[in-house]
Amino acid sequence: MPTNPSPRNPYQPTPMRVLRAYYESTDRSLKTLELSFENQADRVAFFQKFNPGQFCQLSVFGKGESPLGVASAAWEGDFVRFTIQRMGAVTKALHNLKPGDTLGMRGPLGNGFPLADWKGKNLVIIGGGCAFSTLYALTKHVQHPKNRPDFAQLVVIYGARSSGLCMYKHDIQSWYQRDDMEVHQAIDVPEETWDHHVGYVPDVVKQIAPSPVNAVAIVCGPPIMTKFTLPALVSLGFPPEAIYTSLEKRMKCGIGKCGRCNIGSKFICKDGPVFSLAELNALPADI
Amino acid sequence: MKYILPKHELNSLLERWSVGHAVLAPQKVGAYTEFLPFGAQSELCLEEPHNTRFPPKALFFPQSEAILKYKRNTGQLENIEVEPEKRIIFGIRPCDAKAVALLDTVFAEGENQDPFWLARRAETLLIGLGCHEPCATCFCTSADSGPFNTEGLDALLTDLGSEYMVELLSERAAGLFDGLAHASPAQQKSAQTAQTAAEHAMPKAFELDGLKDKLDRVFDEEIWAQLAQSCLGCGVCTFLCPTCFCFDLVDETQRDTRVRNWDTCMYRVYSLEASAHNPRPTRKERTRQRLMHKYSYWWDHAGKLGCTGCGRCVRYCPVGLDIRAMIRKAGAYESEVLHAN
Repeated sequence: MPTNPSPRNPYQPTPMRVLRAYYESTDRSLKTLELSFENQADRVAFFQKFNPGQFCQLSVFGKGESPLGVASAAWEGDFVRFTIQRMGAVTKALHNLKPGDTLGMRGPLGNGFPLADWKGKNLVIIGGGCAFSTLYALTKHVQHPKNRPDFAQLVVIYGARSSGLCMYKHDIQSWYQRDDMEVHQAIDVPEETWDHHVGYVPDVVKQIAPSPVNAVAIVCGPPIMTKFTLPALVSLGFPPEAIYTSLEKRMKCGIGKCGRCNIGSKFICKDGPVFSLAELNALPADI
Repeated sequence: MKYILPKHELNSLLERWSVGHAVLAPQKVGAYTEFLPFGAQSELCLEEPHNTRFPPKALFFPQSEAILKYKRNTGQLENIEVEPEKRIIFGIRPCDAKAVALLDTVFAEGENQDPFWLARRAETLLIGLGCHEPCATCFCTSADSGPFNTEGLDALLTDLGSEYMVELLSERAAGLFDGLAHASPAQQKSAQTAQTAAEHAMPKAFELDGLKDKLDRVFDEEIWAQLAQSCLGCGVCTFLCPTCFCFDLVDETQRDTRVRNWDTCMYRVYSLEASAHNPRPTRKERTRQRLMHKYSYWWDHAGKLGCTGCGRCVRYCPVGLDIRAMIRKAGAYESEVLHAN
């Protein structure tokens, strides 16, 4: 019988304000929002808990909530970045926000990437489409001079359908000049001015053939990409324990109460969204 | 501590409780019973063996509930505090009281406890009425419970004909039965006899031992499509289930309120994602989710079965689907079909 009746309302968002808002893609389907905290206490609480790979529920009051992966690393500043694909009522309302507008945020939610387990490893980061946003947060985290020595080689493979849909263009362009990482970008079909890879991400991964020795691979992308990339990595020799992916499901509460994001007995929001392939293999095929 | 409550004194006892408590008790509304506030004019429905149609979980976790108020234009938030009245729920059946205790594992344990659930739970006493005459749809004895199970209850009544034997189960309810005579050894013995007789009157619906593993092993099999064949996907089994807790969060735009509504895994949109991908696209996957959640995943989450055998899903299914038969078939599928040859 429960006796302590006064915990914080876990469904109450913290107030946030739009600091910057800009389109990522030429077709305006992807927009990035950088949000600042209205209350210092909320900012402190957020960054105490934040780990790349986590997500938040963004609220537009009167429209609802949408779960979105965090696309920034803590060291980047006192803001939280999200890149939002315009899909339905809430994401449309998020796209309509302008700098100075207020909104609500709950989070960080979920487990995030198990960075402590990856210490000293080579990281092979593989992303496709707008799901690359949390991998961008991970890459930014690793790139910081304070964090970089914790990891060995860093390889980023990022695919998009077309060059116009490539996110974080200027920043990623600057990664080619870094001597502490390797970058591979791909688009699905050839374009005249494109001088990087052309092809689907699983094929590009096979072509680049990253070494599985002392490495972990992190895969985030649309289900179809993930479906074909995971076996490609297995055939390259990555054991299931060294392959990680981040899952998405329709979510509401984000804290393991509303019931809808389960795969077997795991809740994506609470036990994930990051799982190793070994963990996924142990779950029923309900994805 | 065991007391004797003569039936003719029940109403005056409830009246006494009504000073300082809201007393809710099962009363007839049309063809069904419901938990309604007890008053001088109330006619209690305690003799009919069946349960209320609406599960008492709703008294703690309403079907629709505001969880946040906001000002749409300024983004200003107004927290909603639940200040529940002191309540006594009288005549709750053991299956439903157990369901409330099961839902504590969702809302009242671990991180992110639910303040709405907790506040109501802390102020509510559950006085149960055991089932000396279980229904044909009941199967609590097969579902790790029983017609006189005491889990979740503050006191349990056993019908002895012209009186009830009251078994006090918690400190919180200690004062409620002051002044009643103690039950004699003979009365305690006849209560025991009635309880055992009720338990024995219920046939075994399925064997729970090893069932979880059997179901886990047939997750990918066709059996679920067979079981779901006549299902209409109406969701009544989940809405009336005392342990189903899934909910949706929606903004009621006109009222500037965020509301939590019961939801059901039996609907297509429940798991439909923004990309149009649906991990449970047909009733096969949705039926499997409903049964596996209760009979497998609950064990992983809480170490308990997520069904109390109340029988509502059996009684109210418009096409007569019977969870007992579904579970029996799914449990036997491996040995009878897969390994038959």
